[in-house]
Amino acid sequence: MVKRRILTICTALLLVTSMLAGCGGKEKDAGNSSTDNAQTKDNGTEASNADSKDNKPAGVDTSKKVELQFYMLGDAPKDLPIIQEEINKLALADLNATVKFNFTTWTDWEQKYKLLLSSGQPIDLIFTADWTQYQSYAKKGAFLPLDDLLPKAAPKLNEFVPKDMWEAVKIDKKIYTVPATWKEYVTEGIAYREDLRKKYNLPKPESIETLEQYLDGIRKNEPNLLPLADNQGYHTDAIRQLTTQTVNSTGTIRYGVNIMYDTPRDVTSYWGSPQHLADLKMYKKWADKGYWPKNVLNVKDSGHDVFASGKAAAILGSENPNRFNDSVIKIKSIHPDWELGYFPYPNAKGFASPVHPIHNGFAIPRSSKNPERALAFYEKMVTDKKYNWLTQYGIEGKHFEIEDGKYYKMLGDAQSSGFQREGMQSWAWRNPEFMLFDKSFDAVLTMFNEFDKTAKPDYFQGFPEDWTPYQAEKAAVEQVEKQYLYPLNVGLVEDVEAGLNTFMEKAKQAGLEKIQSEYTKQWEDYLKSAGIQ
Amino acid sequence: MLKKRGFLYELNKNKVMFLMLMPTLIFFLINSYFPMVGIYYAFTSYDFAGGLFGSPFVGLDNFKFLYQSGALWKLTINTIGYNIVFIVLGNVLAIAIAILISEIRGKLFKKFTQSIMFLPYFMSFVLLSVLAYNMFNFESGFFNQVLKSLGIAPVDIYNTPWVWPILITVFYIWKNLGYSMIIYLASIMGISDEYYEAAKIDGANIIQRIWHITVPMLKPTFVILLLFALGSIMKGQFDLFYQLVGNNGLLYDVTDIIDTYVYRSLKVNFDIGMATAAGLYQSLFGFVLIMTVNYIIKKINEDYALF
Amino acid sequence: MKDNNSGMSLLFKTSAYLIITLISLACLFPFLLMISGSFTSNESIIRDGFHLIPQVFSLEGYKMIFTFPDQLLKAYSVTILVTVVGTVTGLFLITMTGYVLQRKDFKYRNKFSFFIYFTTLFGGGLVPWYIMITKYFNMSDTYAVLILPGLMTPFLIILMKNFIKSAIPDEIFESAKIDGANDFRIYYSIVLKLSMPGVATVGLFLALTYWNDWFLSSLFINDTSMYQLQYYLYNTINTMLFVSQMATGTGVTLAKEIPTESTKMAMALVVTGPIVFLYPFVQRYFVKGLTIGAVKG
Repeated sequence: MVKRRILTICTALLLVTSMLAGCGGKEKDAGNSSTDNAQTKDNGTEASNADSKDNKPAGVDTSKKVELQFYMLGDAPKDLPIIQEEINKLALADLNATVKFNFTTWTDWEQKYKLLLSSGQPIDLIFTADWTQYQSYAKKGAFLPLDDLLPKAAPKLNEFVPKDMWEAVKIDKKIYTVPATWKEYVTEGIAYREDLRKKYNLPKPESIETLEQYLDGIRKNEPNLLPLADNQGYHTDAIRQLTTQTVNSTGTIRYGVNIMYDTPRDVTSYWGSPQHLADLKMYKKWADKGYWPKNVLNVKDSGHDVFASGKAAAILGSENPNRFNDSVIKIKSIHPDWELGYFPYPNAKGFASPVHPIHNGFAIPRSSKNPERALAFYEKMVTDKKYNWLTQYGIEGKHFEIEDGKYYKMLGDAQSSGFQREGMQSWAWRNPEFMLFDKSFDAVLTMFNEFDKTAKPDYFQGFPEDWTPYQAEKAAVEQVEKQYLYPLNVGLVEDVEAGLNTFMEKAKQAGLEKIQSEYTKQWEDYLKSAGIQ
Repeated sequence: MLKKRGFLYELNKNKVMFLMLMPTLIFFLINSYFPMVGIYYAFTSYDFAGGLFGSPFVGLDNFKFLYQSGALWKLTINTIGYNIVFIVLGNVLAIAIAILISEIRGKLFKKFTQSIMFLPYFMSFVLLSVLAYNMFNFESGFFNQVLKSLGIAPVDIYNTPWVWPILITVFYIWKNLGYSMIIYLASIMGISDEYYEAAKIDGANIIQRIWHITVPMLKPTFVILLLFALGSIMKGQFDLFYQLVGNNGLLYDVTDIIDTYVYRSLKVNFDIGMATAAGLYQSLFGFVLIMTVNYIIKKINEDYALF
Repeated sequence: MKDNNSGMSLLFKTSAYLIITLISLACLFPFLLMISGSFTSNESIIRDGFHLIPQVFSLEGYKMIFTFPDQLLKAYSVTILVTVVGTVTGLFLITMTGYVLQRKDFKYRNKFSFFIYFTTLFGGGLVPWYIMITKYFNMSDTYAVLILPGLMTPFLIILMKNFIKSAIPDEIFESAKIDGANDFRIYYSIVLKLSMPGVATVGLFLALTYWNDWFLSSLFINDTSMYQLQYYLYNTINTMLFVSQMATGTGVTLAKEIPTESTKMAMALVVTGPIVFLYPFVQRYFVKGLTIGAVKG
């Protein structure tokens, strides 16, 4: 009886092992053949370089018709088929190629992104950003290096993107993505009900003191209105933007490591420091005063929604100029008598940082069968106005029209339009030279111009942190953070000092010190290689 | 000679049956066994250039994150503990309700209530957690409003850990009762009326009839459901826990299970190796448990065993 | 003696009605909230939460869904097609397998049962399976990928085996074999008819799995005209979630109008609605006592 059982298991294992052998070969071959393809293409184009001039880009062999697979995040706009057809008409003529635009939707997109890259299925172009873990994927070899491809297949693009941006997206000295060149600011600020402030004669919230005064005033006079819309503890990063000048412009502190913008070489541990204790005590005070609901960690609505629907008087995080503009427009349509005020954190800090080039980019995955054609196509998307406007705004006359000679105006409304502005989530291939803005965006552009006056580069976003040396500890510490730090951040723990001590103890147990020392070392190396004092 | 007689002989004798079984076997071979090679990921540090077999071998490194934070023990206890409660309570209640329904005569009532009790199965946990928040939140939750109207002080449910094992169990049962009930109901339908007639003649009352006929006849079904549940004892109802508890760290000690822990750890860390390692841990545990229990059950009554 | 029994029966049955009613109410309650929520204005939901009766009545949730009815209709047709084909095919295969596995004279039944069951214990994980389907079988954007992987699960197979085993005594098989019927004919003409409650149950569960599936669509379907209902619903919800979670710190804004809480509810109803009626329809197969005649006859 038992013998038969063993036999069955052995047979099963045998099956598995034989597959191991079979599949292994296939995988390896697939990997090799795509690099082989790239090699032969390179050799091929060297020869045809002399012959093909005029319309066709010089270093690209366009003799064989190919279909490019283009992947973007989010949902596809309703009229995608129409736009795709128009683009393909152009691409066929210019590059003897057609494109299929694919979208991951927002459902499980991180999972899909990972699968797309690791499955080895042929993908020619894919979106990258710091928040899609560009650095990690690049370091692990998910993308093709573009250094040699650029001058050959996309010389215009190569020129178009400024040198310092190319440098900024290099990982291990190689370029793996084409950065977007439009300078935008996503710095946050305090958004608050200005009409209520005037009504109760409260100060403008521009510092911790005035913020508290404002919120106390709201609490007293409008007991049914929530003072702060922030939930899940996001306010901690926002406060840090208000009161300090951390090198990370979003205020997030990784692993509790504190680095100030002006003194990048000075690395201290914020977690467990007296400053940390003071901050936590302040948050407890706020919780006791009722600035946010007790169950703030379980609220499902986004802070932005809570604020824009009028449920709260102010919000500390998530309102960058663009979103704040959104809130203004939204509130105006529902409650025209309300007024919103905004205090940008750069005003407290003294400077603003535009987004790092890594924030929006496009890369060519290793599995691509047509890297040169893909890059040439992307060049068209960015530098050729026809391609660009089609994929940014849709078809002129059908989806949009030009107002006052320079503004974008949507035809139809949000419900009926088949292609809205940037409907393909086209943040990465914006071209500042011929971007169109809606009139309502003027307020934001004004803010950007203000920020330009005090702009200083963000050199944190470009830091390619490689967490493989401490990935186990990182996962463990993140757990500890969620369990012990978050409740402290929202003031749910009675004895703050004891709570902080417990947190530090658990964090150390999980390996915090190893992470911090390794992280600091990588940071210092980065500073050196990027030439930052 | 003997071996040939054994397998091939059987094959020939029961040709038709083997043929009937073929599609299923092929299905599982392709859909489940082929991808099993991926278990190897658990021992590598994934590299895109190398793929599955080109990635560097790192032995047991990927398992480190599970035990390094010291949480593994607690997670295992939570996972298993909840599952045991779910299995026992869930099945007992499902059996009870199925029996009650089968004894009721009112046709319309039966049809109606059966459908209603099945409804919760369709509610996704995402929506459920929104509704739960609506019910239990401190300031304006329905539950607290009722308390207030009765003159009792409101309770901060979301920050009271000991309540949650009970709450989660209630939600789980609420959602799955209908599903299990149907299975048992179908089994009861298969019990011949003759048995009940005979018992009635012998003078058994309704409770006795249920206890001595219905319940024993449901044993095989119960054993199957039990064995399946045991095999997944280390895996949890991820959606249930993740949606209801969310990011509320205060509740983790009593509500965190392996699946939610792994998910949070790996959300940003997309590492395939670590995820596979966690899955392997769960599988091995379930495997050992099942082999043991099935063996025991086989000794008691061969018919009931799964294989 | 008879009096005693009927008294107890009465008590029993009354308490049965009572308990079932209470449980039904508990099951119904959240749904009433959901239905009411779908008819409430979004702002009212965010401010005041859910109530049994809409605080501020509004059809805005439904408006959002029905502005592009063709998308919804497409999703319906895809889902119905996949569910019907999948359930029928799957039922056929599952019942066949269950029947074979419970035949006492089938010597290797335990080994095959284990072969099938083992797949629930171990798995290679998502990545290798995904690679296999997209790369080696090239099944993305096909109906096949929506139907094939869900055809059967070990749970349903073993459940079916159990139903058949308890519903049909061995004598029936023996007498049929004596009459000269081959195994397939036995399956076809006897087994299917006599284990109706089991077939109905497994069929119901299978249909539900197909109807509720969003995972397969999410991974393998890029063509928006092939989206299934649940996936369509999830996308709507997740677009909202994305904006609320990711926008903080990434500064990402979306062009589209973000669907609201009331839309979430309306959509959930529209997507779930029809399948709820499948169960009452299937109930008619839950009929007792089909076996009696068979043995005697």
